[in-house]
Amino acid sequence: MEFWGVMSDALPTLLKGLSYTVLIALASLVLATIIGLFAGLMRISGNVILRSVAAAYINLIRGTPLLIQILFIYFGLPTVFHVNFSPLAAGIFAVSINIGAYLAEVFRAGIESIDRGQMEAGRSLGFSYAVAMRLIILPQAVRRMTPAFINQFIIGIKDTSMLSVIGVAELTMEGQSIYAMNFKSFEILTLVGLMYFIINYALTVASRWVEKKVAVS
Amino acid sequence: MITVKRLSKSFGDHEVLKNISIQVERQEVVCIIGPSGSGKSTLLRCLNLMETPTSGDVWVEGENLLDPRTDINKFRRKMGMVFQQFNLFPHMTALENITLAPTKLNRKSKTESGILARELLKKVGLTDKADAYPRSLSGGQQQRVAIARALAMEPHVMLFDEPTSALDPEMVGEVLQVMRQLAKEGMTMIIVTHEMGFAREVADRVIFMDNGMVVEEGKPGEMFVSPQNERTKLFLSKVL
Ligand SMILES: Nc1ncnc2c1ncn2[C@@H]1O[C@H](COP(=O)(O)OP(=O)(O)OP(=O)(O)O)[C@@H](O)[C@H]1O
Ligand SMILES: [Mg+2]
Repeated sequence: MEFWGVMSDALPTLLKGLSYTVLIALASLVLATIIGLFAGLMRISGNVILRSVAAAYINLIRGTPLLIQILFIYFGLPTVFHVNFSPLAAGIFAVSINIGAYLAEVFRAGIESIDRGQMEAGRSLGFSYAVAMRLIILPQAVRRMTPAFINQFIIGIKDTSMLSVIGVAELTMEGQSIYAMNFKSFEILTLVGLMYFIINYALTVASRWVEKKVAVS
Repeated sequence: MITVKRLSKSFGDHEVLKNISIQVERQEVVCIIGPSGSGKSTLLRCLNLMETPTSGDVWVEGENLLDPRTDINKFRRKMGMVFQQFNLFPHMTALENITLAPTKLNRKSKTESGILARELLKKVGLTDKADAYPRSLSGGQQQRVAIARALAMEPHVMLFDEPTSALDPEMVGEVLQVMRQLAKEGMTMIIVTHEMGFAREVADRVIFMDNGMVVEEGKPGEMFVSPQNERTKLFLSKVL
């Protein structure tokens, strides 16, 4: 009986944390999509400088732990540049830049998977590279990318739990603050884990469904 | 209408086109023939700068395409291109494939370009396929939609790169029929083809290429009956 009591007492706070987690994840995903699109396009551009900058960014992010990136942005940058982020802003920034690097590779692979003839047909009609990319290549690439995209989103949601180290009041942080007071770490962490699981499992199912739809078309 | 002067094109060390000069008049139908790898596609693709020539000039309707001030995107709207592999946009219906360029580039309204597209579908004999996606069309039907798509920009010249080579034999005829009709209507056409019967029937002039050079050109009646050059003779004896 006591188990359920602990759970229901903790639930409102955890749901608040969960809504924060979802908010951060959504904001980061939007930003990461924009970053990923541009970094992905730069990665395949004919311009050596753009290509190198994108490659450096992608490799740097993929080669360092997210935890270090979060700490660097929140604690490291302000000491040198005198900019102060709120924990929330720093958190969204760090997760966006991190997922953006992975999405850049997803975009690159998606675009490169489209037959060269598609761009040629577009250019031969008189479209510029950029417009042909937007009207002809990307709509096809995005369809193929969707499963990989959702996968990155799932990773992003789980990654937001690391933002507890800089004091962002997301789900993991709220869980920690509850069991710090009532010492019911088993119950609370079970509930926290379950919340992540439900969301991510739903996304996994959605991803499989999309994958099937894409395979058919 | 189109003048190519001393055009050369290399891919790395490999010189694919060597000092080519040709001329195409308005309303003329020119077929380019020659063995595989002789540079036919590359020459055609240099005409609308899908490939950039290494040296030489390409003039179209009095404008130098290689002049950096020439807006090549604008120019390509006057030059329709049809590919061996059709290259229809698979995420769009036949109608959308045709209306895309007129609506986005000529700023025609959806209604206007829709009417134009239906006329073009009628012309290529696919009135009932407006809402079909490319994957549900046969090769011959796809290629006819691709021709309609190129015609939708109301080009002054049409470039065809082996438009029937990827087709099953029974579908070649329907595509050639559409091209024959276009020629009759006075469209300027440059056609790379292996269909010698078609070239003979429709072309005003035939250009034979080998090893990156124009070896011989002339009226189909003369060229197919009494070719002058040894290499032309050899090639024609194999394909006719
Ligand atoms: N993008 C490219 N990069 C490198 N080499 C190329 C490229 N495109 C064509 N080539 C080479 O140029 C030569 C001429 O090719 P092209 O496609 O123009 O010949 P073709 O006459 O059209 O032959 P086919 O009848 O087989 O279509 C070939 O040796 C080919 O390998
Ligand atoms: Mg070819």
